[in-house]
Amino acid sequence: MTKKRGIKWFRLNRELHRDIGYFCIGLTVVFAVSGIALNHVNDWNPNYVVERIERDIDFTNKLSDKVVNQKLLGLFVIDEPIKATYWESPKVYKIFFDAGGTLSVNFVHQQAIFEHVRPRAVFKQFNRLHLNEAKKGWIVFSDIYAGLLLFLSISALFMVKGKYSPWRFRRGWLVILGALVPAVYIFL
Amino acid sequence: MRKNLMVLFVILSITSWVEATEIKFGEVVDAKDTMKISTLLASPNDYVEKKVTVAGTIVGVCQKRGCWMNLASDAKFEKLRIKVRDGDMVFPMSAKGRQALATGVVKEIKLDVEQTRRYKSYLAKRLGEKTDIESITSGMSLYQISPTGVTILD
Repeated sequence: MTKKRGIKWFRLNRELHRDIGYFCIGLTVVFAVSGIALNHVNDWNPNYVVERIERDIDFTNKLSDKVVNQKLLGLFVIDEPIKATYWESPKVYKIFFDAGGTLSVNFVHQQAIFEHVRPRAVFKQFNRLHLNEAKKGWIVFSDIYAGLLLFLSISALFMVKGKYSPWRFRRGWLVILGALVPAVYIFL
Repeated sequence: MRKNLMVLFVILSITSWVEATEIKFGEVVDAKDTMKISTLLASPNDYVEKKVTVAGTIVGVCQKRGCWMNLASDAKFEKLRIKVRDGDMVFPMSAKGRQALATGVVKEIKLDVEQTRRYKSYLAKRLGEKTDIESITSGMSLYQISPTGVTILD
């Protein structure tokens, strides 16, 4: 008579935790890196590198737009087609270039600033995913990812038996601490 | 199974990173009913809480979150802000100078005297102008569009 073999839940849980953990590595890196980047949005621009060049100007807003443009292009040595121009006020003028640059002129301060914007490599794409700008299909995938993270956290409670089990205080205090930190922020 | 999931991940990643030359957000914009920004700003109260479509050159974009952009009016020295909740639409900074169409509801933001003074003071500082803050004794309103659809043209 053979012994009836059931599902080995402990082993299955460890294997699922391992494989799902491997699967989640990539996206966890994306969310962690962009999470840090976006947390510090007030200290830096996580999506773009903005390069600024400032120059003093010696002409006034009495000149025609064409002459103002020529003078500014010469001052900054810009060899890009102008996409659009805009007078924000009688004293503030802006030129937008094809390659993404913007030239702002302030005739009160007699100063011109050329800003060139380029996407910050890697971060722009990571942040886009993090903030769910891609929408549609990404919502489904990030929901799945969230579900997998839930599984990883719950299955972690059943990974280890014995004295290092999270069900014993020797390591269980870590679980309690991890739950207490957000609780403190919520309730205090 | 794992192989299929890998393929799904790769496809989703690629499709979400591809950015069309013409960028669209939200619902389809009805370009046929486009109104002039100058008309809207001439009597904004007539359009509050009404759905309108406007068009203009993008002359400013929120640097941090891409949560607003300013469209230049057809009249000099005017612009209109298109403002979304953070994350609903993210306008790229690189879109400055491009043409855009926006359909949405006109919103009025009422400022009290103190807020109006701060706003005017900030504006004057930014534009390098002088303003007598103490002479401001009443509040003002700002008008912006809360969009349901935006198209940034090539």
